[in-house]
Amino acid sequence: MDLRVPSGWFFALAGLILVGWGLYAPDLHANFTTVNVNLYSGITMLVFGLFLLALAWRASRSGS
Amino acid sequence: MRLAAVDYVLLVLYFAFVLGIGWRLRKRISSSGDFLMSGRSVPVWITSLAFIAANLGAVELIGMAASGAKYGIMTAHFYWLGAIPAMLFMGIFMMPFYYGSKARSVPEYLKLRFDEKSRAFNAFSFAVMTIFSSGISMYALGLLLQLVLGWSFTVSVLASAAIVLAYTFLGGLTSAIYNEVLQFFLIVIGFAPLAILSVQKAGGWHGIVARLPPNMTHAWSYMGSPTENPMGVELFGMVAGLGFVLSFGYWCTNFLVVQRAMAAESMSAARRTPLVGTLPKMFLPFIVIMPGIAAAALAKMNLGYHLPQNAAGGPDYTQALTTLMAQFYPSGILGLGMTGLMASFMSGMAGNVTAFNTVFTYDIYQSYIRPGADDHHYLTVGRVTTVFGVLLSILAAYVATRYNNIMDLLQLVFGCVNAPLFATFLLGMFWKRTTANGAFAGLTIGTGAAVLTLCTTVAEGKGGWIANLYQFPSQMAQNFWIAIIAFATCFVISVAVSMVTTPRTDKEMEGLVYGLTHVPHDATAKWYQRPAPLTAIVIVLLIILNIWFR
Repeated sequence: MDLRVPSGWFFALAGLILVGWGLYAPDLHANFTTVNVNLYSGITMLVFGLFLLALAWRASRSGS
Repeated sequence: MRLAAVDYVLLVLYFAFVLGIGWRLRKRISSSGDFLMSGRSVPVWITSLAFIAANLGAVELIGMAASGAKYGIMTAHFYWLGAIPAMLFMGIFMMPFYYGSKARSVPEYLKLRFDEKSRAFNAFSFAVMTIFSSGISMYALGLLLQLVLGWSFTVSVLASAAIVLAYTFLGGLTSAIYNEVLQFFLIVIGFAPLAILSVQKAGGWHGIVARLPPNMTHAWSYMGSPTENPMGVELFGMVAGLGFVLSFGYWCTNFLVVQRAMAAESMSAARRTPLVGTLPKMFLPFIVIMPGIAAAALAKMNLGYHLPQNAAGGPDYTQALTTLMAQFYPSGILGLGMTGLMASFMSGMAGNVTAFNTVFTYDIYQSYIRPGADDHHYLTVGRVTTVFGVLLSILAAYVATRYNNIMDLLQLVFGCVNAPLFATFLLGMFWKRTTANGAFAGLTIGTGAAVLTLCTTVAEGKGGWIANLYQFPSQMAQNFWIAIIAFATCFVISVAVSMVTTPRTDKEMEGLVYGLTHVPHDATAKWYQRPAPLTAIVIVLLIILNIWFR
């Protein structure tokens, strides 16, 4: 099992959930924050997850 | 702090992946070696991250943020002075002997190099230590969830134990390592926003420097005398105690971390494991310590933020991280942060349990209880030991409820067990004259010296159970000096006894000692895969960081 596959899926899914939540509730802030933390963190996670999946996909293609 | 539905969704999603990884890996287990040593087949990027993630449990997250709030940037010495040089030393000088000796564990190396009694001493003390560490992780997690979320201590402890047991039982060491890597990513991604937001709120690094006393924002400048800096440690105690003895003892001889490198697919990969690990490790202080320092600055800003009080009436630094999360994280990212915390505690537990089952199965059961059985039998024993390890950890968690300072307790245990051990390995690996009796005498008397120092000195009202011969300015100083004394005693006794006892022949020590071991030169490796250039890059970065925060 290539660990990049489950890690990639996890971060892509969790990122999607956060992006969705950030768009659905853009005014949700903690005491000390003003930016949409959920949206930006979600985007970062989504990109990271897709990056891991892309690496795994490339490795599986060159391996077979 | 209350979690919303979206937080629970993220929590459940993570643990579904954790258990799923364990489930998928169960088919890879067909021998005790697969279960306890990952069949020595894990890619280097995974072993490197697991190498540092195995240590990223209770101590690092809660403890480092707490130390950041209490001591400031000096806390980074645990990384920049301690861990990184030790990891470099481990990869360049020590790994060839561990991996090349074909030993399956650190105690087994002692058996091959010296004899049965050193192995037994190390195996038993290590087994006890892992159970306690694992129990303390569990205890800290239960306490945290009770305090922050109002969950029941018992339910938290049992639920986390059940999850750890499930994935380590199914997939063995590989499952523990894979989940450590997943947890590492989660910690970095889940806590980097907290570090950025909290430092930004405190006015950036310059704002922090302006608000805190200068000895909290300088790592080196106030180390002339213990009264000048918040840690109460002087330069020699810091460099020799933490930088040399404790850190090298932990990173070079603690089987919990060494086991991750030994699971690598080749000698070259095993050597690169700690070297590659230093690169992310070097920057972890910005994620784990910085929020604590920012918390100390925020508490001085009239924002209504302050650390809760502990039972003694002082600030409860261990709550720095969670109170920051409550102030900066809305639900969503909050669930992710809490998941990261839980994951780090659990992988701390899993790391200890997987090290415990290997040492118990190979170094205690196979050596003293039932040698010579077929491998299938030892696989079963490994699995049963995993269950017992988790049960003993739960017991230890309840024992730990009687002690309140996690970090200090761990330091004391490491001080008494690990510090003399590094002297034994240093002599054993680099001085072929060292004899089995010399090593054993050094190890036992060195450990005794550690215990004796603890019992005859006092710091912050602790220790001195036999007599009060010396008063240390802080517990940190006491820990460092216990380590220095244990190391020096072990070193001197080992050398003295070795000189009057008969060494083994060179032939018997091939592959175990420097000068009698062929270290393969990997000519096909690319430049960035070779130890020397990798080390040079790390050292340059390390010097820059130390100068920057001097």
